[in-house]
Amino acid sequence: MRFHDVNFFLKLAAAFLVMLVAWMVPGWQFGVPLAIASVVFLAAIKVPGLRAYLKGAVLLVVLVIASWLVNLALQGQSLTIASTIATGMAARLVTTTAAFFFVMETSSPGSILAAASAARLPPIVTLVLSLTFGIIPMLREDFERIADAQRARGMEIDDVPFVTRLRFALARGVPLLVQAIRMAHAISISLSIYGFDMKRKRTTWRNVGVLVEPKLNLKDDKA
Amino acid sequence: MLSIRNLSVGFGGGSPAVIEASLAVSSGRRLLICGAAGSGKTTLLSAAAGIIPRLVRPEVFSGNIDFDDRPVSSIPTDEWFGVVSIVTQNVEDQLWDLSVEDLIAFPLENRSVEKHQIRERIKALLSSLELNDLPGRGVLTLSGGERRMVAIAAALAAAPRLLVLDEPTIGLDPAARQRLVRILQKLHAEIPALLISEQDPASVSEVVDEIALLNSGTLSPAAPKAALFDQEAVWINAGVLPPRRRRAIRQSTLQLTTLLSVSGLKTRLTRTDGRAVLENINFDIHSGEIIGLIGRNGAGKTTLFQSILGLVKIASGSLVIGGQDAAGWTPARRARSIAYLPQNMRRVLFNMTLLQEVTFAITASTSIAKDPTMIDRAKGFLAKYGLAGFEETNPFALSSRQQALLGLACADAAGSPIAILDEPLLARDLHGRRMLDLFLDDAASAGRAVMLISHDLELVAEAASRVLVLDQGYIVFDGPTDEAWQSKSYQMLQWPKPSFQLSMEASHALS
Repeated sequence: MRFHDVNFFLKLAAAFLVMLVAWMVPGWQFGVPLAIASVVFLAAIKVPGLRAYLKGAVLLVVLVIASWLVNLALQGQSLTIASTIATGMAARLVTTTAAFFFVMETSSPGSILAAASAARLPPIVTLVLSLTFGIIPMLREDFERIADAQRARGMEIDDVPFVTRLRFALARGVPLLVQAIRMAHAISISLSIYGFDMKRKRTTWRNVGVLVEPKLNLKDDKA
Repeated sequence: MLSIRNLSVGFGGGSPAVIEASLAVSSGRRLLICGAAGSGKTTLLSAAAGIIPRLVRPEVFSGNIDFDDRPVSSIPTDEWFGVVSIVTQNVEDQLWDLSVEDLIAFPLENRSVEKHQIRERIKALLSSLELNDLPGRGVLTLSGGERRMVAIAAALAAAPRLLVLDEPTIGLDPAARQRLVRILQKLHAEIPALLISEQDPASVSEVVDEIALLNSGTLSPAAPKAALFDQEAVWINAGVLPPRRRRAIRQSTLQLTTLLSVSGLKTRLTRTDGRAVLENINFDIHSGEIIGLIGRNGAGKTTLFQSILGLVKIASGSLVIGGQDAAGWTPARRARSIAYLPQNMRRVLFNMTLLQEVTFAITASTSIAKDPTMIDRAKGFLAKYGLAGFEETNPFALSSRQQALLGLACADAAGSPIAILDEPLLARDLHGRRMLDLFLDDAASAGRAVMLISHDLELVAEAASRVLVLDQGYIVFDGPTDEAWQSKSYQMLQWPKPSFQLSMEASHALS
């Protein structure tokens, strides 16, 4: 099965369910296997951008565990208890982010537009969903593009210590913000040019059910 | 149909972008607005298409714009964008990560058109615009030419009465340009009226009837194209390179020092058929040399400079920069020897002011420069390329033309032995060309080398002493510019020869 073709709302519901389970299960003994299973699932279905996600997930785990350890130690908890709680929290966050990363990476803005339009959702909901899930990957690509631009202009961001690399990565936020504002402006003009109207429900060219038609078959007259 | 009278538009600071312009486009008319970069073409077309002042509000706006004798301001937005469609110059601004069908269907879906009608319309447009191979593809994965054709298909989806195209041939290779012209001719019945802007009048001359010249915001009355083409003075007065001019040959200052040597380069990146994007690439670049690199969209030109800069990994081959093996060099270290200027400079700007951009080019550090000598030096480079007074401006606030000039200033300031200029936007107007020539002259006389990647064959013919032709991942020709146009490899591209070459061959035939 191609997960990219599954209806966006089914994937979104599944992600919420996984998140619910992750936060309901007691302790790290259940949370950690669930987090591992989520990451293994992403790897098994070859979700694009997994390497970048894993880097982020590792950073998230380190930050969450460190902050919880400090917090609980200050409250007088023993290191053993603090470790189990911190690990459990990190596992929940990994499972949650993995679930929504899966939805984001396997849903194109077009398929989200189609699913939302077929469900006759209000245009504002359709727009917010498709832009939220569609623009994040574009901004991530822009983040990489800015890094390549810095390299191509002679800024050494590879052969430097980790802390410097992290500082340079954070500094990329400013041009990224400029780019995001520009992109938002361009999209708002495009929406007007192409007749998007908040007061009118959209239709879709795609056949939408459990699966969303990925491509128009030029020889097929069925609608 | 469309009537513009005494239109003035300004965005604050300096003179208005458009001054008292008047034009009329009636049904069946095809009008070309021709002018230099920064002459106000995009502003005028944005006003004609209703983007200004409906969606973008300028500080100065006066005059009248009517459509079918109704003031455009009285036409509801939804109705207006049903009768007028625009494809903007930066076509990427009109696209986001949608599929080809999504983008074409978007205007119809937004207007609640029934599914079966949308599907039929998509099929009809894909067929008439010769895009039948593209369903299912993401628009951002397409070549520049394909993207523009898909954007035109989307603009035609709602059957507008006036189609506005802002510099539609920018970034297209000669074959894609010919295809665009052929399709616009074929769609004559489907496009009741057409308003186009271009810097290069020759590129779309076959689809327009009349031309009006825009010079620093002032629009001349429209005249039949045949009456204008041979009047060299008219074009020069408008700041545009005349379409039928003589070739100006650059003096070669070639020296024997090898600055860059590429041998046996093969990329890890592969094409859809599994072949490497680049294979067995061999060439040298010498000091003082200006080299033209030409090839179809998708031939591998972008991948070539990315490989040289280390931004994409290579499977095999060697790269020697300044006599040193650069295999282990980071991209940043390579970039200190090779300055790269893309067509869209926004892609490589990331500092907050122009002054910081130039000081970064000199120091390769984002620290704010405090040394007065360094600051004066950076200001000197900005002034050299006409950007004095913009030192504290954010680079993203500049026009595309000014960003291209900033690119030249940065590359000059960096003093890198080699500069790669990817499709410079400046080449078609007189002032921009002077700036580009200044950069090329200074680079060559300082013993630096420039690789010019361009689809503008006249620019390559005039500026380059040597041409590389890249096709299907291989360098199929490497030799003197004058021999390139006669070569079998060039003929395989099925591109027209540069206009100078054609007129020279015609005069030889007559004699």
